[in-house]
Amino acid sequence: MRYTAVDSCLVFLPMVHGKQIITVENLMDADGSLHPVQQALVDTYGSQCGFCTPGIVMTLFALYKSGHTPTRTEIDDALVGNLCRCTGYRPIVDAGLALAVHTDRKDKFSRTEEETIVLLRQIKHESIRYESCNQLYHRPATLHEALVLRRNSLDALVVSGGTDVALRVTKKHELLPEILDLSAIPELKEVVSSSESIVLGAGLSLNDVRPAVRISFAALAEMLDVFGSKQIRNLGTLGGNLGSASPIGDSLPVLMAYGAIVRVMNCDGTRDIPITEFITGYRTTACRPDELITSVILPRPSASVIVRSFKISKRQDLDISTVSAGFAVQLDKKNCVETCILAFGGMAAQTKRAVSVEKFLAGKNWTRDVVEQAASIVKNDFSPITDARAGADFRLIAARNLILKFWISTQQG
Amino acid sequence: MPLKHDSAEKHVTGEAVYIDDIAVQEGLLVGRVVYSPHARARILSCDLEAAKKIAGVHAVLAAKDIPGHNQMGPVVKDEPCLAEVEVTFIGQAVVLIAAETEEQCRQAEKLIRISYEPLEPILDIESAIAKDTLLGPQRTMNRGDATEAMKSAPHVIRGELCTGAQEHWYLETQSCLCVPGEASEMMVYSSTQHPSETQALVAEVLDLRRNDVVVEVRRIGGGFGGKETEGNHTACWAALLAHATGRPVKIRLFRADDMIMTGKRHRYLIRYEAGFDNDGKLEAVKLEFNSDGGAATDLSFAIMERTMLHADNAYYVPNMSIVARVLKTNLPSNGAFRGFGGPQAIAAMETIIDRIARILRKDSADVRFMNFYGIDSRNVTHYGQTVENNPLFMLYERIMQSSDYVKRREAAAAFNVSHEFVKRGIAMTPVKFGISFTTTFLNQAGALVAVYLDGTVLVNHGGIEMGQGLNTKMQSIAALEFGIHPSAVKVNATNTSKVPNTSATAASAGADLNGMAVRNAAIAIKERVAEGVAQLFSEQYPGVPSVKQHIVFVDGRISDAQHPDRTIAFADAMVQMNLRRISLSASGFYSTPNIGWDKIKGWGKPFHYYAFGMAVTEVEVDLLTGHHVIIRTDILHDVGDSLNEPIDLGQIEGGYVQGLGWCTTEEIRWDAKGNLMTHSPDTYKIPGVRDIPMDFRVQLLKEVPNPETIRNSKAVGEPPFMLALSAWLAIKDAVSAVRNHEVEPDFAIPATNELIVMSVEKLRNLCDA
Repeated sequence: MRYTAVDSCLVFLPMVHGKQIITVENLMDADGSLHPVQQALVDTYGSQCGFCTPGIVMTLFALYKSGHTPTRTEIDDALVGNLCRCTGYRPIVDAGLALAVHTDRKDKFSRTEEETIVLLRQIKHESIRYESCNQLYHRPATLHEALVLRRNSLDALVVSGGTDVALRVTKKHELLPEILDLSAIPELKEVVSSSESIVLGAGLSLNDVRPAVRISFAALAEMLDVFGSKQIRNLGTLGGNLGSASPIGDSLPVLMAYGAIVRVMNCDGTRDIPITEFITGYRTTACRPDELITSVILPRPSASVIVRSFKISKRQDLDISTVSAGFAVQLDKKNCVETCILAFGGMAAQTKRAVSVEKFLAGKNWTRDVVEQAASIVKNDFSPITDARAGADFRLIAARNLILKFWISTQQG
Repeated sequence: MPLKHDSAEKHVTGEAVYIDDIAVQEGLLVGRVVYSPHARARILSCDLEAAKKIAGVHAVLAAKDIPGHNQMGPVVKDEPCLAEVEVTFIGQAVVLIAAETEEQCRQAEKLIRISYEPLEPILDIESAIAKDTLLGPQRTMNRGDATEAMKSAPHVIRGELCTGAQEHWYLETQSCLCVPGEASEMMVYSSTQHPSETQALVAEVLDLRRNDVVVEVRRIGGGFGGKETEGNHTACWAALLAHATGRPVKIRLFRADDMIMTGKRHRYLIRYEAGFDNDGKLEAVKLEFNSDGGAATDLSFAIMERTMLHADNAYYVPNMSIVARVLKTNLPSNGAFRGFGGPQAIAAMETIIDRIARILRKDSADVRFMNFYGIDSRNVTHYGQTVENNPLFMLYERIMQSSDYVKRREAAAAFNVSHEFVKRGIAMTPVKFGISFTTTFLNQAGALVAVYLDGTVLVNHGGIEMGQGLNTKMQSIAALEFGIHPSAVKVNATNTSKVPNTSATAASAGADLNGMAVRNAAIAIKERVAEGVAQLFSEQYPGVPSVKQHIVFVDGRISDAQHPDRTIAFADAMVQMNLRRISLSASGFYSTPNIGWDKIKGWGKPFHYYAFGMAVTEVEVDLLTGHHVIIRTDILHDVGDSLNEPIDLGQIEGGYVQGLGWCTTEEIRWDAKGNLMTHSPDTYKIPGVRDIPMDFRVQLLKEVPNPETIRNSKAVGEPPFMLALSAWLAIKDAVSAVRNHEVEPDFAIPATNELIVMSVEKLRNLCDA
């Protein structure tokens, strides 16, 4: 049994098919006693105005149900997705730490867990089609069905985690006439690891990608650590992030740095597209209308390649990057640049490589002077915009600084 | 054991009722506000007919449909409820729609045809100054002769400081439910900090008498000043729609609409000049405050007044000259926000001190110390109030020691020598904050307390529970007064029919004022009960009669202190009192004593007392990205004898973190047409859990009771907000390390990572030159 906290405003109703929904109103015991996480928040004065409290309760509840004693880092990681304007968070974190005393993790849900599992197993894993007078919602259960639906409904909006598309409904109040939801397809949630590569299913939640890439693709894992919030990462997928092709696309620059290959599929077969070719413009990709993104292939970099990711944002967590970056460099024995990839988000209408900087660096000695010179020409590669997040000047300076920061990180082993 | 927050269990179970949770039996309509897309324009025509024809739409109203006054300004009547001839900011309400569903409202909105003639807007302070668009007369405040003193001062600095706007970001957006009653009655459930004003304005727009309008507030999901006047708007709109349709109407603003439509903390452009001696002691300070009032007056002048009264912060300035202007711009009218003009003033004074330290190459904490208000001399503010019971030196001594300031400053300096791209900074800042509404008559409060025959107590007071724990404090005050267990005391929803003509819950004064009113009500009841119980005892125990002066209320019993055997359980006594026809309810009233000042001369005693605090914050700044982390914060804050320590700590921590937001990540941007660009949580960044200090040590200053207040306590809501300036100046200290503190860095509020990187860039370019 796995309990995950998600933002309810990002979930389409059919997505919860086959799952147990637990809300704050459920947690109390039949005898009226509070759940340990509720009691902890009461005891630490973790609520003031109380308006954000139900969300915080559910975040801590999911953490409680994760089965082990959470560290401060894990508590912070879980709470990043909850905004509180009153408390300053300290008592909420304390409530999280106070859960350590409940070593057995018992609660009303653990007492009935076996029955719940039986009930959940009775719900068949099958394709669903919901139809109302003005909306059609497909939730196929197999990749094959999904591909057929894709071919037959070219206008359907493809949804994987829904974290981007749901905002069109909740914030922009759009009516989406036809949705193809890929969240129930097991084939899209696989991780296949080999000596050459790791293949990540496009439907894996970003949170599930994190542990899978932590050791071999640390720069990607680090980017995912500051990607949205845990509640968002529990829904959002790598495929979704690629498919929406945001100009910022937190994960895209680092995927570029790793030379990722995007595998797409239609009823006739598969195509493998290097990620730099996959992203074709502002929110456009090389994925054809009848194709679905099925996986991302990350070739294992050779030991001499150094990859790093960086994110500059107004707030470090739960924020969209002002500038994001994924960098890779391979140095030869003479400390000269053999290959390098310097990919940026937030600097253009699409995530893009700093081609002239890369060219400048090619073959040159990887020293601070050279790198600083190279970094200074990053302004030739981009003409960023001024928007709600930052000014164009800052973006250019930040991009330059990140290249230097990359060099610094390569000097520290 | 301090009481838990009285709603804590309801918060954590989701049972706590906010406006949107109130169950309405039937006929509820959804209200929607159609607002101006232009920062400044004349309204040429307004066609609502097509919108009215949409199925499910029950009312579409414009200014001409308002039965009463089209006016909502709390002080100056310059704020229409619905724009009539012109619009003066983007987000200004023009038309109201009530329909059965939100979707029908949106459908109708699309069919509304309003034609505008756009005019040139004013969108920033500089343009407003250039065009001299004052919202009211300029004000000045003077002590001594700053101009003369400046001439003879050994050092003089001049500079400018810009402080940014801040969105309240209360979690519950502006909300109101209006339910029409019989005849012309209107029941208003509003998320407001000022129910009496909401009542008055609803009556005025509907052309009703105030005794027809009842406003009730159970709790609000955060206020921070943002519902002191802004709550009135939503209430008036909902009331107009409810009145027009005869059905209950609820308006709950979407987050983006709330952010676009409502006012914020005032932006300031501050110009300063300061003269000081070779030690760093201030001799003269001249300040020019320019605030962005937005399109209407709202509370801008009261806010500016508090700015003027806090320009000194904790320092004695022998010669002070202040000029203050509130400018009109085509943005939503700015209003109250925690600190109420204090933060901007204190940021200016702390900038001056910080610069003095940099120029004299001294530790800024030493410069602060030497300028603190004195105990017996140098203790009169620039507006003539004596700083009494001054704990500044005690706070200083204790926090400098507990924070290990001196050693950590040395360690930070050493760190900076060995780190080129990451710098550490540390700063100590104090706050001295005047407690009382500076508009003296507002310092009053009422309460209505009822005791029932089972011994339970119901407390009504005029304050609003917005998370600050006001009701919990009122509960414990009543319980202590009656000598009963707090669980026997319940605090009711605030209701204008129970306690009328109240002031806003604002100025940090909620517990001070309402606590005294609750106490006075309880005392009135106890007086009668003591007399009745004395009689009862005298009858029960013939011989020496009991006298009411010896009747005590302790441990759930009422007893004769002179005759310990004469005792009765509190609840039993209430039954006996009822049989004797003794009233068990009373209203209580309180007005703050011994305050008053001459606003014209700028002289007198505007404040009942001052609240003090000090903070030491250390940060680490990545110069390449502008990201910072707060390594450690120490706070020592003076709340007198705390009414509830965990709740007061919560106010201090929460205030500090909200202040951090204002100082660092909370940046508001408008585009060239006056559209708010940062109108959603994806672009407007309040602090999150990982933005708080990694090591956060908050202490209350103990054993310093505050005379003449409820249980010797002090107000706590606003003062800690300003302690976040220690983080702001610590960041500046880190940036300034780039040039070994020899050059004054460009700095402003908020110090976003963009500002930090650009400031560092400028310093580095200087290095290269």
